[in-house]
Amino acid sequence: MSDVPFKNPGWAGNTGDFDLTEKEVRGEDFVGDRPKHGGHPSGSATMPYMLPETNPDARLFEGEYQERFEKILTRYPSKRAALLPALALAQELRGYVSPESMDRVAELLDLSPAYVRGVATFYTMYNKAPVGRHLVQVCTNISCNLCGADDVLTAFLEHTGTELGETSRDGNFTVIEAECLAGCGFPTCVQINSQYFENVTPTEVPKILAHLKGQGNG
Amino acid sequence: MAYPYVSDREVRIISKHFGDPTQRRLETYVERGGYAALRKALGMSPDEVVDTVKESGLRGRGGAGFPTGVKWSFMPKDTSKPHYLVCNADESEPGTFKDRELIRWDPHQLIEGCLIGAHAIRAQHVYIYCRGEFFETTQVLARAVEDAYAKGYVGKDIFGSGLDIDVTVHAGAGAYICGEETGLMNSLEGRRGQPRVKPPFPAAVGAFGMPSTINNVETLCTIPHIVANGGDWYRQYGTEKSPGTKLFCVSGHVNKPGNYELPLGFPLIELIEDVCGGVRDGNALKAVIPGGSSVPIINAEESRACALDYEGCVAVGTMLGCASVIVMDETTDIVKQVRRMVDFYAHESCGQCTPCREGSAWSAKMMKRIEDGRGTEEDLDTLMQVTQKMVGTTICVLSDSVAAPVQSSINKFRDEYLALVRRGERVGAA
Repeated sequence: MSDVPFKNPGWAGNTGDFDLTEKEVRGEDFVGDRPKHGGHPSGSATMPYMLPETNPDARLFEGEYQERFEKILTRYPSKRAALLPALALAQELRGYVSPESMDRVAELLDLSPAYVRGVATFYTMYNKAPVGRHLVQVCTNISCNLCGADDVLTAFLEHTGTELGETSRDGNFTVIEAECLAGCGFPTCVQINSQYFENVTPTEVPKILAHLKGQGNG
Repeated sequence: MAYPYVSDREVRIISKHFGDPTQRRLETYVERGGYAALRKALGMSPDEVVDTVKESGLRGRGGAGFPTGVKWSFMPKDTSKPHYLVCNADESEPGTFKDRELIRWDPHQLIEGCLIGAHAIRAQHVYIYCRGEFFETTQVLARAVEDAYAKGYVGKDIFGSGLDIDVTVHAGAGAYICGEETGLMNSLEGRRGQPRVKPPFPAAVGAFGMPSTINNVETLCTIPHIVANGGDWYRQYGTEKSPGTKLFCVSGHVNKPGNYELPLGFPLIELIEDVCGGVRDGNALKAVIPGGSSVPIINAEESRACALDYEGCVAVGTMLGCASVIVMDETTDIVKQVRRMVDFYAHESCGQCTPCREGSAWSAKMMKRIEDGRGTEEDLDTLMQVTQKMVGTTICVLSDSVAAPVQSSINKFRDEYLALVRRGERVGAA
């Protein structure tokens, strides 16, 4: 297990304060830098890491993803309700929700493409354009802001060499401002892909970036 | 080492096992007496469960404070249509961080509460709507649900009672407004998360058009303890009108921020000074938001008189909301913080109702202008007028939530606004 160089009170396994490993807490299939199967099967939607779009013409869901999609369908009394999880699955697969992906999801769920776009654009978590391998979301809302979130955001922008909302030249990092991530007691709270980093201070930013690059995704 | 910070003033009922990751395991949970309350509840009739919860006086922990037992009793008794219990885990109110902790430290407590609630309202299916950003939380909960299915605590014929209850973990996709109950139901159904006009209320026409009840995570986590120990036991804590304990999420300028479970009616100033170790660096207290960003700000003087229960907060002109106490010390730039909150609401407005869509955007622009030192005194009056027209004129209360911080801060910290518009002077700026 990787040695994460910052304190994160709830993140079991990272600090050594807990007797369960990350693996034990979250199950075998959640561990690894790029879990192909995308996490635990009972989670209706997961987005562990962004995978690059390989072939946009391929069927949207195949193999494991098709199985997960079918499992999602069984959980709701209407097909429409599977829309949000299906879009999340598409994003996990392709890294973002492209207009083509939205059309495919519409076909799969018997919805009109316009309806699917209307829904997808309502929610902030669907990336409508490709983002970096690591999507860095810094909470700058009130509680984190009181404790210096602006400085953390500036540090991320400086160390990645990007502008707010832009992707760094090496394709590794996109840094954006996030609304409250519900980690107010552990400011500043930063979400990077699916992972929360809590109690982040500007001095820890280079360490976090180095850790991310060392994950094999960078 | 204890969970980030604990205090001996706390009464830890639902947060008892915070900081202990073994609690996530089903075996540990059962060893410590878990699922006994479910067994007991299944031996009772749904109406008996509702009556027990009514006796306890438990009030919904999502912010509105509506009595849970009463809410449950609105559900129709006839079961010709499917009933749904929806758990609201779309925690996104700035300042609130209790539901994420409740789920990831003690997922089975929530599942047990959901099952008891489902039995009480005669539901066969529970949807737990988790906020989309909560990947880790959703994974922990989903794993716990799988474990509970495997052992027969969830699913068909639970404990041989003949009752079938399914639990589904559903993840949202990033929209504050989906924390509003009807917005959440729209989102669950695969629509844009825009709130619905009430009536019809969810108990008549809710999720998927069927009778539904929506409860907050903290409310449902409390249910197993009430069923196990009885309504009177719960009433020994808190006040007559606000019984029980509540998780207080303290953030901002205190030495020990975190979640503290305290009896309702606890004095705000003791929470800050004693439980949380005082304001950081020995600074003076300037302002407090006691219930998350949607409630009015109170100044230091008012906070000394504030008791943390539903009535006590109203008495000083604010609300308890979801008890997210945001503490600000003397170095705080109030205008900047209010501007940040208004930006948030302008971003999160769903755009259905004109007063909210336009009003939040106008307010955000005016606040930015004032913060940049380009505002005028007239802007303050315009802000007051705009926000007054945003109160009570829309489908949901997001619009009112813009008005609360703007109006209360202009009323209480007018000097700071005036310093900015007259001389461009900012408090606490480097």
